[in-house]
Amino acid sequence: MTQPTEDMGSEGDDLLAAEYVLGVLSLADRLAFGARLKSDRVLAERTRVWENRLADLNDDYAPVPAPDVLHRIEKRLFLLPQRPPRRFALWGGLLGGLVAAGLLVAVVLTQFPLPTGFEPSLTATLTAEGQPLVFAASYDREKATLRIERTGGTVAEVGKDYELWLIDATGVPVSLGVLGDTLVETPLAELLPGIVLAVSLEPAGGSATGLPTGPVLVSGPVTEI
Amino acid sequence: MADDPIAALLIRVAAQDRTAFRQLYADTSSKLFGVLIRILGTRAEAEDALQEVYTRVWLKAGRFEAGKGRGMTWLITIARYHAIDRRRARPSAGVDGEDALLAVADPQPGPESVMSARGEAGRIARCFDTLEADRAAAVKGAYLSGLSYQELAQSFNVPLNTMRTWLRRSLQKLKECLDQ
Repeated sequence: MTQPTEDMGSEGDDLLAAEYVLGVLSLADRLAFGARLKSDRVLAERTRVWENRLADLNDDYAPVPAPDVLHRIEKRLFLLPQRPPRRFALWGGLLGGLVAAGLLVAVVLTQFPLPTGFEPSLTATLTAEGQPLVFAASYDREKATLRIERTGGTVAEVGKDYELWLIDATGVPVSLGVLGDTLVETPLAELLPGIVLAVSLEPAGGSATGLPTGPVLVSGPVTEI
Repeated sequence: MADDPIAALLIRVAAQDRTAFRQLYADTSSKLFGVLIRILGTRAEAEDALQEVYTRVWLKAGRFEAGKGRGMTWLITIARYHAIDRRRARPSAGVDGEDALLAVADPQPGPESVMSARGEAGRIARCFDTLEADRAAAVKGAYLSGLSYQELAQSFNVPLNTMRTWLRRSLQKLKECLDQ
């Protein structure tokens, strides 16, 4: 409920920041607030002050021994090509020229990281309760590319395929294609926070109708990193 | 950074130091897992969320500002916000009154009573004491368990707008008390 912001001015903003930090807002209001935080430094500062103000409540969270998922996190993070150091920018141009000239040599590739760093600005984790299947999605705005990788569960049963869907505010699923078993990259012009990604089980080759025909197995909202 | 080893690790993580990242996971994952379980309720979902949270920590560490808050506060904020977003994205978000009731009822005295002896934690406890008991419980239920206005209204059996007024007034009082 963001209605008081206009008429209450800064006091309304301070209250909204408090509600955001407390966590009581709806998803739509949380996402709208998160979007404002990116460009409104005063609001970001108010929010940070509230985060620190209430931080002593964190003592009440009892630690629970965590499962060791570090290797999975590292796999997800470090299998992505590393962000290249700046000094390789020159190489990038040079490599680009070589590629254009059809002269790219494998030795160069192994010695110098190609400046293809994938820099995700949005992510989603697609899950469902009681469902071992998990997909991790990330989106690079600059490259307009969506990456999706299965991080839990097994391949689809014989004769079936997993199909990826994008569901925006209209509620009508749009197919982004059938998922193979490896890391999948697909060009995608735009992806916004709040959009839901979902995976359904379809006949091999994907749904023939343009809409999901099998069960939706997992889904998750897209959020800013 | 001598008094905040987590902040020191975050600064190294921001410089893409993978050893520091492993150390950070070893030192902080049980606390963050406790946060995620409290808000999400199941181990399975908390485990998925834990992976997402540490992925973000690696990608966002460059935005951590050591002078503006403690390292652990920054990490818990990322974990809480992610868990709350997940709760709100559930199809049944806001209608599971029983779950909310349990979350509020959960007294979990935990380390809080131990910490209250400390200056800062003692101050927040004193400020909560200035609120009426049910309102203090509502604010804590929201913060610790990630309850929405709607869930709080259901579990305290008051209209949504009443709950909104309660919480906003309580936040205002807490601010005045904590900023003194």
